[in-house]
Amino acid sequence: MLVRRFSISALCVVIVCAYFGCSKAGGPDNNTTGSIELTYWPAPNVQEIQLADSIVHEWNRIHPDIHIRMQPLPVSQSSEEVLLAAIAGKTTPDVCSNINPAAMSEFTKSGGLVSLDQFSDFDSIASQRTPRPLLETFRSGDGHYYQIPWKSNPVMMFYNMRMLREVGVNEIPKTYSEYFAAAQKVTRDTNNDGQTDIWMGERDVRPIWWQRLFDFFPMYIAASDGKTLFDGTTVAFDNEYAREVMGFFQEAYAKKYYPRTFFQGGDPFLLEKKASHFSGPWEVAVIQKFAPSMEYTVAPLPVPDSHTGPVYTSGDFKNIAIFSTTKHPKEAWEFVKFLVTAKHDAALLEITDQIPIRGDLLSNPTFADYFQRKPVMVVFAQQAPYTRGMDSAPDLKEIFDAISQEYEACAVFSRKTPAEAIHDAVDRTKVIAEWNK
Amino acid sequence: MSLTKKRTAYLLVLPYVVYFVAFVGYPLCFSLILMFHRWDIVTPMEWVGLKNFIRLAADRLFFKSIGNTLIFLLIHIPLQIAVALGLALLLNSRIWFRGFFRAVFFMPVVVSGVVVTILWQQMYAYDNGVFNGILSAVGVPRVPWLVDPGVAMSSIALMATWKNVGIYIVLFLVGLQNIPRELYESAEIDGATSARQFFHVTFPLLNPTIIAIVVLSTIGGFSLFIEPYVMTGGGPMQSTLSAMLYIYNQAFYFNHMGYAATLGFVFALIILGVVVLQRKFIETEPT
Amino acid sequence: MTKTLKYLALAIGAVVFAYPFVWMIAGSLKPEMEIPNLSLWSSNFSLTSYAHVFERIPISRAFLNSMFVSCSITALVVVLSSMVGYALAKLNFFGKEALYLLIMFTMMIPFQITLIPQYVLMVKLQWTDTYLALIVPSMMSGLGIILFRQSFRGIPDALIDAARMDGCSEFTILFRLIWPLSKPVILTVAILTFMASWNDVLWPLIVIRDRSLMTMPQLVTIFVTGGEAESQLGSLLAAATLLALPVILAYSFFQRYFIESMASTGIKG
Repeated sequence: MLVRRFSISALCVVIVCAYFGCSKAGGPDNNTTGSIELTYWPAPNVQEIQLADSIVHEWNRIHPDIHIRMQPLPVSQSSEEVLLAAIAGKTTPDVCSNINPAAMSEFTKSGGLVSLDQFSDFDSIASQRTPRPLLETFRSGDGHYYQIPWKSNPVMMFYNMRMLREVGVNEIPKTYSEYFAAAQKVTRDTNNDGQTDIWMGERDVRPIWWQRLFDFFPMYIAASDGKTLFDGTTVAFDNEYAREVMGFFQEAYAKKYYPRTFFQGGDPFLLEKKASHFSGPWEVAVIQKFAPSMEYTVAPLPVPDSHTGPVYTSGDFKNIAIFSTTKHPKEAWEFVKFLVTAKHDAALLEITDQIPIRGDLLSNPTFADYFQRKPVMVVFAQQAPYTRGMDSAPDLKEIFDAISQEYEACAVFSRKTPAEAIHDAVDRTKVIAEWNK
Repeated sequence: MSLTKKRTAYLLVLPYVVYFVAFVGYPLCFSLILMFHRWDIVTPMEWVGLKNFIRLAADRLFFKSIGNTLIFLLIHIPLQIAVALGLALLLNSRIWFRGFFRAVFFMPVVVSGVVVTILWQQMYAYDNGVFNGILSAVGVPRVPWLVDPGVAMSSIALMATWKNVGIYIVLFLVGLQNIPRELYESAEIDGATSARQFFHVTFPLLNPTIIAIVVLSTIGGFSLFIEPYVMTGGGPMQSTLSAMLYIYNQAFYFNHMGYAATLGFVFALIILGVVVLQRKFIETEPT
Repeated sequence: MTKTLKYLALAIGAVVFAYPFVWMIAGSLKPEMEIPNLSLWSSNFSLTSYAHVFERIPISRAFLNSMFVSCSITALVVVLSSMVGYALAKLNFFGKEALYLLIMFTMMIPFQITLIPQYVLMVKLQWTDTYLALIVPSMMSGLGIILFRQSFRGIPDALIDAARMDGCSEFTILFRLIWPLSKPVILTVAILTFMASWNDVLWPLIVIRDRSLMTMPQLVTIFVTGGEAESQLGSLLAAATLLALPVILAYSFFQRYFIESMASTGIKG
């Protein structure tokens, strides 16, 4: 009796496991009779789902014969891993709008993507929307385009204007010297307990690779007028610019303008304990939510004193691609074109506050209303043409990890000179590149 | 023995045999194969011969991570034994609320390591953490608990001691209760002070317990992972990068499955080596 | 005099071990600016931080996942390990000694060596992002088998033979005769297994990427390390409190069993 009860409950456990196990595995259903069905994966955050929802709704109304099914990208630690796993398992959607150009080489290496330049109108559509030099940076090593640039989040410097004004700084710093001159005044101990409590800036000092995407990397792009870590496939950051940037951070920590600890007890920019903050357009909404009374300005990143001309930065690009599992590449391409029309770029701005990668943001009347209502976003729109993405090198994470280790040793703890740190980082990058060939 | 009984016996152990083949035997064999390959899970496996071992031999970070793990053990184990023994001695007398105290000291053991890590990370904060708050209140300079390369691993070891000491208090209590009362009585008649009693009666008789504790916490300490993973990410200056964290990073951050299997294999050999050495060393010691 | 010192030392010890938990609970209720204070009281207690946690991560789903996974594992381990333990203790069959040695061997292999290939196995079986990956690899426990074997050996053979005379099958003997006599060891194995699986983070981090399937400690870890807390300290503490509370509650009811089962094996939680 008891035995039976036990085997029954054990069986139940097994069945329940199997049920939950399989409920995940049941892939996309076959399309309904006659009409075509395409699957579209947008990024899984609330705003982008809302955007995708409205665009897909409109498409389905106009195109009764081509039905788009919107499924947010399965949430995970990184969407690149999900996509790679999907490529391996042949469960990719037809279209995805959360393609990180840095992972491009992995996607194409495993043969997951359709080249877009096979469509005769690709070049005119893409170049009309995105300035040619920027568009070129998204061309893959084999000369083809597997992605159409969609949106970016340029990393810029947020300044707390009240904190600067308090110590008599009225001009936004443009160069390293100006930045440090301001830093010297801002950084201080306000309650006389012998501990600095106001800083010029702060970065998470833990050696986490992606943190460098918000300090070293954009500052290097800025200092070098748009260079990235690689030139084609050769390591290309063994130069004066990289050393200058490393030197900048070393000085910031050595002179204690940046705390050498990681700050616990909330975001110090939101708590108005640091005067400058590397961030992107998403920060605007964060400030609105957590520190609505803060008085702030967004400006290009500081550059070396000798620098002239426009200031570049990194943009966290997210592009659109079509996967090779699609049975209907033509229809998928039609949908992609639908996503990047001026009308839907306006919706992208409106709903997500992210910047479409197009040259006419400030001249096209379609967007005028938005920028009038959100003047702070104008700065990001002006910055957008001067952004660079991450290199499409395999094992970029590992390379950024190596840079992080050197950043920590050199900038945070001053155990190495900038020249040594860059030299070691370049060496290590070469080893990684060699190993992964 | 009847045939049906024998058949039932096989039926009873069958689940284990299946389990063993699938989750121990197969992975063991597969890891032996994987060590000679390069594999990122997505693209097909590629035979690389001894390349993973050559890479390992020159991998400064791997050896550093093993060194870090050993440093952790060297701080953690003596500290743990001292604290556990001290509190166990206090508890091992007729006092009020004995059960209450034991329960409180044991509490961190049952709580998830993640909770403990989050808590201590806040308490270790340099500027506004609880510890530095207390220190500066009594006029002692602040300690850079987690941000100085020379201090961070000790801080993690201190936290791990706090987390696990409850188990060892209980083990010591069992050990202490097994010491015959008569031994103390005769020592008292011989006029031994309590210090002498401790060193000549208590400590030697607790030796088996201490051996068990050393071996257990060595094995546990080698799997140090979640604490540095959450608190420091392995920094500052790689000083808290434990071997497990390094292997995890290689496998699941950088997708070097083959290389991570190689690291895991070599690391497992090192663990076995240390445990065997420890056994030998401790067991030959006079009790 | 020494007595007072003793109590003083113990009281300090108790504060050292209990204060952090109380501080955590207080901090999760306090407004952001007041958290770093040592004090445990604030006139501004609120549930804002909890609201933030519930808004950002599916924590109640994670609780149910953890419950389901840990209960399944515990049930499986108790049933399956007691079966093997019984065979080893009371039955004779070819290969018995070899099996016992195999179990001891398995317990001595550092898990570091099988971690990667086990993950690969999960990928090959397409079990990643399913409950199967969380449950099946833990459904057996070498330690459980050893504990059951030891305990069952103490049961007199005469009792079992008598049951056999009555025509009971070995399964009936195990579950109807032996189990009721072995409640302490069942409880020990159950507590140890449940605690280990409830608190495990490394394995879920590896095999589960889908947030709706994550276990509670895993979800909280990702919440803390992944920036979703938006650097809100109160939310971190609230998430930690939610994670700790079920265990602390269970512990406060059954603390004697927790301590005894741990002490009987000396295994870390």
